[in-house]
Amino acid sequence: MSAVPFSPTRVALIAGNTIREAARQKLFGFFLVLALALVGGVQWFRDFNFGAPELKFLADFGFGAMAFFGAALTVAATAQLFFGEIEQRTALTLLAKPVWRAEFIFGKFLGLAAVAGAFCALLTALLLAVLMTREAALARDVPEAFAQGGRIDVASVLAAAWLQWLKLAVLAAFTLLVASFSQTQLFTVVMGFLVLVIGHLQYLAHGAYARAGSAAGRLLSGLIEVVFPNFQLFNVADQLGLGGAVPWGHVARVSVYGLGYIGAACALAVLSFRRREI
Amino acid sequence: MSADTSVPAVELRGLTKDFSVGLRGVKLRAVDALDLRVEAGQIFGLLGPNGSGKSTTIKLLLGLLEPTRGTCRVFGESSARVESRREVGYLPESPYFYRYLTGRELVNFYGRICGLARRGLAERVAEVIAWVGLTTAADRRVGTYSKGMLQRIGLAQALVHDPRLVILDEPTAGVDPVGAAAISELILQLKARGKTVLMTSHLLGQIEDVCDRVAIMDRGRLILEGAVRDLVGRPDRPAIATEKLGAEDLAALRAWFAARGLPCEESAAPRLRLDRIFLERVGPRPEGPA
Repeated sequence: MSAVPFSPTRVALIAGNTIREAARQKLFGFFLVLALALVGGVQWFRDFNFGAPELKFLADFGFGAMAFFGAALTVAATAQLFFGEIEQRTALTLLAKPVWRAEFIFGKFLGLAAVAGAFCALLTALLLAVLMTREAALARDVPEAFAQGGRIDVASVLAAAWLQWLKLAVLAAFTLLVASFSQTQLFTVVMGFLVLVIGHLQYLAHGAYARAGSAAGRLLSGLIEVVFPNFQLFNVADQLGLGGAVPWGHVARVSVYGLGYIGAACALAVLSFRRREI
Repeated sequence: MSADTSVPAVELRGLTKDFSVGLRGVKLRAVDALDLRVEAGQIFGLLGPNGSGKSTTIKLLLGLLEPTRGTCRVFGESSARVESRREVGYLPESPYFYRYLTGRELVNFYGRICGLARRGLAERVAEVIAWVGLTTAADRRVGTYSKGMLQRIGLAQALVHDPRLVILDEPTAGVDPVGAAAISELILQLKARGKTVLMTSHLLGQIEDVCDRVAIMDRGRLILEGAVRDLVGRPDRPAIATEKLGAEDLAALRAWFAARGLPCEESAAPRLRLDRIFLERVGPRPEGPA
């Protein structure tokens, strides 16, 4: 019998089904509506700006909503859509066909990344609309507000949104890796959020152990630094609304960094899933 | 692809599967040194009580589980290889499909998954849907299908890539007698088309009607295997059926047997099978609600 080659078409078909399934789930709609409502209604939260310039506050608020709800959506959707296939036995029918397990994992990942991408794209579009409307109003009513710069740069917003999406894609890949060997959806969700927390706080651990100076501490912090992605690197929203130039070099480096983690997590998920008994 | 009939459709040798149960990893043997050979073109019934290892054997055949020991080959190819599944169509027990797809979209999806080219796929999908009798329901969402219709669309997705071996795990589970009879008819048509069918079922009457050979498993072991005709037939006990035999004639016949030293153990009116009566009264349904 001739070999069955790895098929991008099958990967795309599985990804397409994952997107359709996600779009049908109330969870996706719930997080999307909530996040859109928050970003759309951000002007009512302007009093909580803690002294930051208004546009900077609006951008931070928007990206905060994107990061928070995006992470919740990504972890929950990854676990739900993966275990949905196992528990409803659709994986049984699918994997009984000439389908490589790698195609299943990559298809799932691409579908989830596309869902996260749609979420980020919608929120970014709304955030840009809010920012531009407010910027136009400020420029009309308080022209001196932009005397020191501070106008919103669309390219910066798009770069920040790209990195937010990349962060969610990394999170989806890690959650998928856990799902590939986990027996329960709950464990996968808990581990997914743990990865998110460790990814955000690992730089603190690194600093603490480095100051402690012990070899074991340095080894442990080094290990955490290598195994878990540093999600702080993906946050460039601080540069927005201050008139600063887009740190394109940083964006490029973090993009390579994020894609590397995605590749490694997906490869490990394939290795783990290859031996999983369905 | 030409069928090489010298290669068995399924060949299991010493197939053993252990599962680890609980935190202490206690071994549970689901399939125990199973040797089985299914020749191409047969309808083969795999029987056994719940938990006897039938479904595990099927999963091993499909590469969904890894054997602990032994070999498992499909048309000569190890079932661990993806290539072995190219010639296999599988209908799982209680099939769950993507419920938001229509029947046509579902079969189309699995056709493309199996590598069928876009060109001609629509015709092939329409053909298998018509063959299982679901043309009028093809554009309805699978979520609205009855149990019998789900089994039929499951059969369509199993056949869309024209496999040589069709594996049916409880194809009539939960289906009413009319639907079960329709599925039996489809299975017989598969044989007529030269397909090999490996099926499990708790409906022993259905197995007897459609299968050429059966194997009975219990606690993971093969306890009996053979041709249905040989297993259920009793050539050493001939029976005579006749119309309106009176008491005097019957007594004379018994005396005739006794004179020749042949015991006449039983005389009774043959009984009809309840499923036959049901099917005669209800009648087959043209399409759909089975």
